[in-house]
Amino acid sequence: MSDGVVKILDGNTFVVSDSRGDIEASLTDPTGLFSFDTRFLSTWVLTVNGERLNALSVDDLQYFEARFFLVPGTGTVYVDAKLSVIRRRAVGDGFHEELTILNHAEEPIELTVRVDADSDFADLFEVKDALKKKGKYTTRIDKEGLHLVYERETFGRMTTISASAPVAVDEKGLTFVVTIEPHGSWATDLDVVTAAGAGGRIVRPKYRHGERQAQPNMERSLESWLDDAPQLECDDDRLRATYRRSLVDLAALRFSPLVAGGRSLPAAGLPWFMTLFGRDSILTSLQALPFTPELAATTLQALGDWQGSRIDDFRDEDPGRILHEMRYGEMTAFEERPHSPYYGCADATPLYVVLLDEYERWTGDRSLVRQREHEARAALAWIDEYADLLGNGYVWYQRRNEQTGLENQCWKDSWDSISYRDGRLPGFPRATCELQGYAYDAKIRGARLARSVWNDAAFADRLEKEAADLKRRFNRDFWIADGGYFALALDTEGHQVDSLASNNGHLLWSGIVDKSKAKAVVDNLLGPRLFSGWGVRTLAEGEGRYNPIGYHVGTVWPFDNSFIAWGLRRYGFKEEAATIAGGILDAAGYFDGRLPEAFGGYERSITKYPVQYPTACSPQAWSTGAPLLLLRTMLGLEPVGEHLVMDPALPSSIGLLALLDIPGRWGRMDAFGRGRVDVGSSHTSPGRRRTGSRSRTRSS
Amino acid sequence: MSEPIEEFFERLSAGGPGTLPPRTNGSLRIDLGSGATTERWFLTVEDGAASVSHRNAKADAVIRTSKDLFEGMVTGRVNAMAGALRGAVSLEGDPTLLVLFQRALPGPPSRSGVGATMTGRRS
Repeated sequence: MSDGVVKILDGNTFVVSDSRGDIEASLTDPTGLFSFDTRFLSTWVLTVNGERLNALSVDDLQYFEARFFLVPGTGTVYVDAKLSVIRRRAVGDGFHEELTILNHAEEPIELTVRVDADSDFADLFEVKDALKKKGKYTTRIDKEGLHLVYERETFGRMTTISASAPVAVDEKGLTFVVTIEPHGSWATDLDVVTAAGAGGRIVRPKYRHGERQAQPNMERSLESWLDDAPQLECDDDRLRATYRRSLVDLAALRFSPLVAGGRSLPAAGLPWFMTLFGRDSILTSLQALPFTPELAATTLQALGDWQGSRIDDFRDEDPGRILHEMRYGEMTAFEERPHSPYYGCADATPLYVVLLDEYERWTGDRSLVRQREHEARAALAWIDEYADLLGNGYVWYQRRNEQTGLENQCWKDSWDSISYRDGRLPGFPRATCELQGYAYDAKIRGARLARSVWNDAAFADRLEKEAADLKRRFNRDFWIADGGYFALALDTEGHQVDSLASNNGHLLWSGIVDKSKAKAVVDNLLGPRLFSGWGVRTLAEGEGRYNPIGYHVGTVWPFDNSFIAWGLRRYGFKEEAATIAGGILDAAGYFDGRLPEAFGGYERSITKYPVQYPTACSPQAWSTGAPLLLLRTMLGLEPVGEHLVMDPALPSSIGLLALLDIPGRWGRMDAFGRGRVDVGSSHTSPGRRRTGSRSRTRSS
Repeated sequence: MSEPIEEFFERLSAGGPGTLPPRTNGSLRIDLGSGATTERWFLTVEDGAASVSHRNAKADAVIRTSKDLFEGMVTGRVNAMAGALRGAVSLEGDPTLLVLFQRALPGPPSRSGVGATMTGRRS
């Protein structure tokens, strides 16, 4: 069922159930208990005297626990509710469920309580693509409970189900025969434990280690996470709610890969993308740097450890390349999918260097920069030696794994995202424009690190020379003079893929745009073809493939807009940045502070509210990070030397804004701003608005 | 002793590009086969420089697999991570050390025409 779905998770273990707490997975119904990309429970159905239950309410108390309040009987009206059933479920190394039944009647009651359990041990990829399994299933019952086992050669996975109350176990589940006194209750604990290996070591659910309440896997609890983040004070209730939502969701999105030693980094999306991603983890870490710099440190460590070291066509791996995605399921194990890890993305590698530099600028943590010198140099070398597929000084991508590799290795990774104005699609390889910007920025930032931390001035000089050369060629080869913007890509003939797209904003962020061209680019970004009133569309209205509800060809992506706003600030267009921040934050208000991955590119004045694009994952990491980066751009926060500099430009609707205790190399600092930029409800030509935000800083 | 495995450890201890990153530190034992016929390799790594012996001693990380499979790993025919995921390679101890070690393993022998083989550095 698609409505009433309840998701709870802890790291990459998660449970998706219906609103009764039941799991009845099918090929079209991706519910279940999942861990390390494998479904460990596909059936988990509670009945009382053979009857299914009805949900009265569900509390998702925390992202890792939920409570279901149920009554017997089906149908829309519940009558004769002599019984209440409460399931309290917490996830962590499997899950733990406390099942309680209350008898409200004057007489004792006899019940048969049944939990049906089964597992198809599907790989996440199989759930997506509805594929058949190749191994064999067995079931075993012993004093520990019911063991569901799946084996294929050396690959084994096991689910063990046990109960604290007296129980009869059969191969299909657990049966309790209970008598409950008048106004009395009955309860049992149910433990569902996952294990790798058929006879493998069983890991107990974490709350069995003396704790009744599950704690998140991470070193830090949600409370200390929130306490440690900067405090936001402002007149705008919706912005405060959005900020809190972002921090809580970011905590839920924390993922701790084995190499991180308990520290966490942002996974890409909840629940299907709870794994290490190059691009998503880096961009989210960048957005969150002024708030939770530890995410960036872990991202740099984990992605650095897994840096590519050899040529492997199946995994699209090269020496120096930063991974795209890591998976742990059966299809990856048997090399039916390349995610062990898969390296097919062209932006994570330059962005790795960008994050390393930005991280040092905020935190002053030179030791990490020293420790990752090897990786950063290898990443910079990859740009020239492996990404320049045509040998003409640009970053190109083309997959070598034709079967299961990714066709588009930039963030707009759907099949039709890169097109000419007339709608044609270019061949491969492709050199999209933002990749050149990232490469430029990586060289400039790499040069700064080489000079200031690695003591290698010659390398710094070389990188700066290469960057200057790249910038000169880029501004010549990608510039569409009569349109006043940069082409979306170059094709193999050297021709411009001439659509107008939001990628221009990322070019501002990277700094590759000639100052003389910036105004024209900004006019396009805030002009009627790209700016919807809520934000900048991925592809401009009027292009051949434009579709306001096309995934990368017309929708508005909050993450995209947050980087565009950063780019606008970089070139001094602070009111335009505030306009975008205002639009996206207004939109967040319609989603209770949780921005979707994308929403429709419809004109704001027509729909009045942002139309959500349906996606499987919510929250999505970089949408969660978008309000954070927008706070940074609105306040104009910029680390300069040992100081935090601010230059606020806020939409007037926000009023007074204070961000307190911003962590960094300065210790903790406060930033203040007052909204002075009038943000129209639709695109208006920027540059004629009143400015004059005040700023004040305080050191503590 | 199988030749490809010996050659791999020789290359590893000789250092140079494509071996262990310079921040690699610790000890790693590789047990091939089981019982009395177990073939052991013991790596001591200091700042990326590896020395190799056959000691049977406690190590920060241990890799256990069959000789055939390890030979596949050092010749690029078997991916170490995939092998570990399907339970054919067992890993114990310091995860970072294990991840850095697998970086020294070569890629598959065959290559397609695209990608790295097409590059030419711009002068």
